[in-house]
Amino acid sequence: MEKTLEIKNLSVVRTEKKQSTLILTDVGFSIYKGELFCLVGESGSGKTTLALSIMRLLPKSFRIISGEIRVNGTHVLEISEHLMRSVRGEKISIVFQDPGAYLDPLFTVGVHLREAARGKTDNQQELISLALKEVGLEPEIQSAYPHQLSGGQQQRVMIAMALINKPQLIIADEPTTALDILTTRQIINLLNEIRLKHHPGMLFITHDLKLAASIGMRIGIMYRGHIVEIFRPGKEKPNHPYANILMGTIEGKDIKWDLDTDIFEFNRQEIVGICPFFERCPEKGQVCKRNIPFLWRDGQTGIRCIKYE
Amino acid sequence: MKRLICKRLLQIIPMLIGMSFVSFVIIQSSPGDYFAQMKMNPEISPETIEAMKVSFGLDRPFIVQYFFWLKNICKFDFGVSFAYHMPVRTLIKFRLKNTICLAIFSLFLSWVIAVPLAVLAGYKEGTFIDKFFSTLAYISISLPSFFVALLFVYFISKTGVLPLGGTRSIFEMNASSFVIFKDYMRHLLVPGLVLCFVNIGGLFRLMRNNFIETFHTPYVLAAWARGLPTFSVVFKHALKNALNPMFTILGMEIGTLLNGAALTEIISGWPGMGSLILEAVLSHDLYLVMGSLVISGFLLIIGNLIGDILIAFFDPRIRLT
Amino acid sequence: MKKFFQRLKNHSRIAYFSFWFLLLFYFVSFFADLLAPYHFDHQFRNKPYHPPTKIHFVDSDGNFHIRPFVYNFVIDDPVFRTYKEDYSLRHPLKLFVKGDERRIFFFFKTNRYLFGVDQPAGIFLFGTDTYGRDIFSRILYGGRISLSISLIGVLISFTLGMITGGIAGYFGGITDQILMRFVEILMVFPSFYLMLSLRAMFPLNLSSIQVYLLIVMILSLIGWAGLARIIRGMVLSLKEEDYVLAAKSLGLSNWRILLFHIFPNTFSYTITALTISVPGYIIGEAALSLLGLGIQEPYPSWGNILSSTIGNLRVMGDAPWLLLAGIFIFVVLINFNLLGDALRNVLDPKNW
Repeated sequence: MEKTLEIKNLSVVRTEKKQSTLILTDVGFSIYKGELFCLVGESGSGKTTLALSIMRLLPKSFRIISGEIRVNGTHVLEISEHLMRSVRGEKISIVFQDPGAYLDPLFTVGVHLREAARGKTDNQQELISLALKEVGLEPEIQSAYPHQLSGGQQQRVMIAMALINKPQLIIADEPTTALDILTTRQIINLLNEIRLKHHPGMLFITHDLKLAASIGMRIGIMYRGHIVEIFRPGKEKPNHPYANILMGTIEGKDIKWDLDTDIFEFNRQEIVGICPFFERCPEKGQVCKRNIPFLWRDGQTGIRCIKYE
Repeated sequence: MKRLICKRLLQIIPMLIGMSFVSFVIIQSSPGDYFAQMKMNPEISPETIEAMKVSFGLDRPFIVQYFFWLKNICKFDFGVSFAYHMPVRTLIKFRLKNTICLAIFSLFLSWVIAVPLAVLAGYKEGTFIDKFFSTLAYISISLPSFFVALLFVYFISKTGVLPLGGTRSIFEMNASSFVIFKDYMRHLLVPGLVLCFVNIGGLFRLMRNNFIETFHTPYVLAAWARGLPTFSVVFKHALKNALNPMFTILGMEIGTLLNGAALTEIISGWPGMGSLILEAVLSHDLYLVMGSLVISGFLLIIGNLIGDILIAFFDPRIRLT
Repeated sequence: MKKFFQRLKNHSRIAYFSFWFLLLFYFVSFFADLLAPYHFDHQFRNKPYHPPTKIHFVDSDGNFHIRPFVYNFVIDDPVFRTYKEDYSLRHPLKLFVKGDERRIFFFFKTNRYLFGVDQPAGIFLFGTDTYGRDIFSRILYGGRISLSISLIGVLISFTLGMITGGIAGYFGGITDQILMRFVEILMVFPSFYLMLSLRAMFPLNLSSIQVYLLIVMILSLIGWAGLARIIRGMVLSLKEEDYVLAAKSLGLSNWRILLFHIFPNTFSYTITALTISVPGYIIGEAALSLLGLGIQEPYPSWGNILSSTIGNLRVMGDAPWLLLAGIFIFVVLINFNLLGDALRNVLDPKNW
């Protein structure tokens, strides 16, 4: 099977006021052509950082210190900025959370779509109409301004912009978190249709494990910048203690989670050399106090835990 | 859009009435009889004074006086100036033109310089260029306008490069209008440059902050994510959004300019509204003071209105609600 | 308090120094009587437009003296008013020197001042003006006026603005509408024109106390409107907060809520706004004095000192040291701006 996205040993650091913290540590996974890969993690786990790293759109205080990212063979981290610009929007597209904020309020939908389809002057209008039809919007919407649209419509506009150039990889960073439940279902169905029709690889980022389990072909669970497990929902059950806690919360079990040591507190402590989940793991042991690598089972699933290899 | 303009125009009317009333109260509270000075002036006949008294309804109660005065204002009759022996209206017309020219000139110049520099500084945030211009801007806003005017006038007088004071040099009567225009502009330069220098700092800082804020918005990130070239992102998206709030500023700047212009006019000898009101105050020329006050307030209202209209024109969120 | 200072220092070293610098200015102007070598009205008729006195360590024979000294200046050319140093006698700089008798703080009389020199020499650090008055002393005394008027004016404006804005925002309804219309009307006038008009309401020649109070009043009147509007906006949103509801349900009176619960939450903004508006008041007073409508002779004000240069370009050429008053205004202004900017960042709850 063809690999659309391949990430190896990606580490990203953020430097603020002369202090550096690791945001992503040794992240590595692949997404196959036509696959819907769900990345699940709480706020602050580094999901958006990962998405922006693939697009090379990290803010100035972030730096990729190691790793390799390949999209259909193209070494994304090594090409020039000029080339990268032609990759963005063409080979890789991204759909953001809260679509209203990501559309320029001073320009109509039509302008946005034309921008996305720039460079294809011959059949630009055709491509736009096609894209709009696919997401279920009328062509008249092109003359509307973002603030005149509902949340669902705005997100569909963003999706239309994302698929105009038939990208090979579509990243969806929590695309439905800001939308209500029915619209969410609409958008999810739409994304699935697109995947089935055009076979892009899809990286679907969410904090909702239940949602991920219902749509994903594989789920990657992130905790504090590390991938701690990748599994196939429906076919396998997750083993990692963190995954179990997440599942337990969904199933309504009584979970004790100490909020004082919250992940997104300002002073992130770097844990080097021990399991990232060590502080909160209910099943930890002395053996966990060393560098725990991510171990692949069959190239597609794996776990970062000594106990559940 | 048109509805918006009509709505704003309607809002203006009570403001104008209120403003004229306050001006009236201020003037009425002045000590002394209006006409004491005029009576002492042999050039003004007692009949004129009586006629003025009637036309201003001075024998009637306060409110009635106000309405008489208001009626006169609407006919653009602001009374007669004691010091100049001319209708106030004539004086104001002449001086107003000068002040407006000065305002437009310095407005144009300061925007043309400040905005591009601010975009550059905002784009290169944190670098030497940014810090350099930001420091200059800081100095600009901290220097009192009269001080800058004094220094500038001094240096120009030493070097004699530009004319000072008034709007015309002495010319033959048949000078072509182009020559007159050029002369006017040369006279405009000194007060214009001073005003520009004083205002440029504040403008720069505002624009720079707006630009930096816009640059970090989600939709600019989305623009990068679409693969748009830097030129598009900066000038099409970031700049346009950053300029938006500046239009309200533009409206308010008319007010600031009137203020700043006044002192600068006085010091550099530019005959505008500012020097007019000063002369009026110094010679206790009450009608002139009143007229200048009302007109300046009116200008400010118009300026704000223009600012509001501009912003409605450029921002679809306001235009289409 | 301490935490505040620490945070200010961390955020901006410069602003931290600005604070102390301004405090120093206020201190100096408060004690101007003791620090100035001469009374502000002490005229040296034989030394008009005297350039700044040079302080020497090495005399005309090339000898070095530890104690700095000055030479007496004598008029060289009465028409062009140039001066020449008289090298015949050295006048050492003395500390705590005896000078003319002055009253300080309204009650005490003293005749000892921080530094000075013996007659007939004079120590004019910044030169003299047309009457031969020491500019340095005048600037010191003038600082009192400029710095105090602005501070008092700002405080009055703020009290007025807070009360109006608080009442309008909290009680709403008709009160709000009327008050805000009034505020808007006041804001329609350009402040300079309004200032002049208000000044015109009063006779041009008033006693110095009257002028002082008048200027304070005028400046306050012009400045309070803007603040009132903003405070009203803040109160409007603050009164919907839960703790206000809690206070009401406890039966606290409206005034108590306003004063103790709502107002304190506006302070972070108020203090910043206060600092940032002081420059405007200083300029307002200076402008009035500059034009002859403010502080009258013989009392000095920074604007006053500059007024002799207006319209009289020759004066500026002959005695450029008069412009030093403007430099002082500039320095004070820059410090206030720096401090205000830093305060804005430090006091913003988002940055805590």
